[in-house]
Amino acid sequence: MKIEDTIDDEWLEWYQMTPAERWRESQKLWSFFIATGGSLDPEPDTQSPFNDALMSGAVPADGRSGVRVVRRSGV
Amino acid sequence: MGGQACVLYGAAEFSRDTDLAILAEPDNLDRLKAALDDLRAERIAVPPLESTYLKRGHGVHFRCHHPDADRMRIDVMSVMRGVAPFPDLWARRASISTGDDVMIDFLSLPDLVQAKKTQRDKDWPLIRRLVEANYFQNRNSPSDEQITFWLTECRTAQLLIELADNHGNIAATLAGKRPLIEFVLKGDEKRTTEGLESEEKHEREADRLYWLPLKKELEQMRHESYQP
Repeated sequence: MKIEDTIDDEWLEWYQMTPAERWRESQKLWSFFIATGGSLDPEPDTQSPFNDALMSGAVPADGRSGVRVVRRSGV
Repeated sequence: MGGQACVLYGAAEFSRDTDLAILAEPDNLDRLKAALDDLRAERIAVPPLESTYLKRGHGVHFRCHHPDADRMRIDVMSVMRGVAPFPDLWARRASISTGDDVMIDFLSLPDLVQAKKTQRDKDWPLIRRLVEANYFQNRNSPSDEQITFWLTECRTAQLLIELADNHGNIAATLAGKRPLIEFVLKGDEKRTTEGLESEEKHEREADRLYWLPLKKELEQMRHESYQP
């Protein structure tokens, strides 16, 4: 079995873009995320050493993490 | 240096927060404060944005209120566990042009991988994808430096074995530096996977111990900030 066979086709496609191409695509996802009501408020990250200090501040609006896969999550 | 850098290197598709690695010197902090003012950023936790805290390894956290980035988090750090000092990071940084006269500087891939070796579950799949992406982008004509990087940092057993099949001489030279290479060279996927798990466990514990005194400082600062 080749290593490619163990990796999702969409990830392979993403891997093979240039950084500038990924930046542009990510900007589109950002715009779509905002346009559809996505919140930029990060969730509490209980494993982060910063979490205790931040708990009194940010409140999760949607319970999602900061880094995400928008396409595969179907947003 | 964080999620946005992972996007540029291919390990993530989108990040809604921004992490900055900065030089914690007065002039630079003044420039950063001006930029944060432009973004209408408020600090949302201890410590304050001062070089003394940044140089000890603390992060400083902001939330933006500019309409174009409302509620976006910005985290600022200057020192990270296991990561080279800022002047070295700057000297070997990567840069791209976004096409609108804006240059983005970000951590080199090896430095980003080091920065991601934390106690958090979510950072480890990112390391795997960072290395995988670089492999798929460069595997047709890799330099010895790239092959060494993949064999040193790859977190996929099958890919490590494929690398050793194709670059056995370099893999053999790394066995003393990375013990699991012994199993990689034998094509032993099961023990390679166990070695990867052991590496991760070791790094996560080292990160937890690194943060213990810093978390105590944070708790003390929080307590003092709530004094009536």
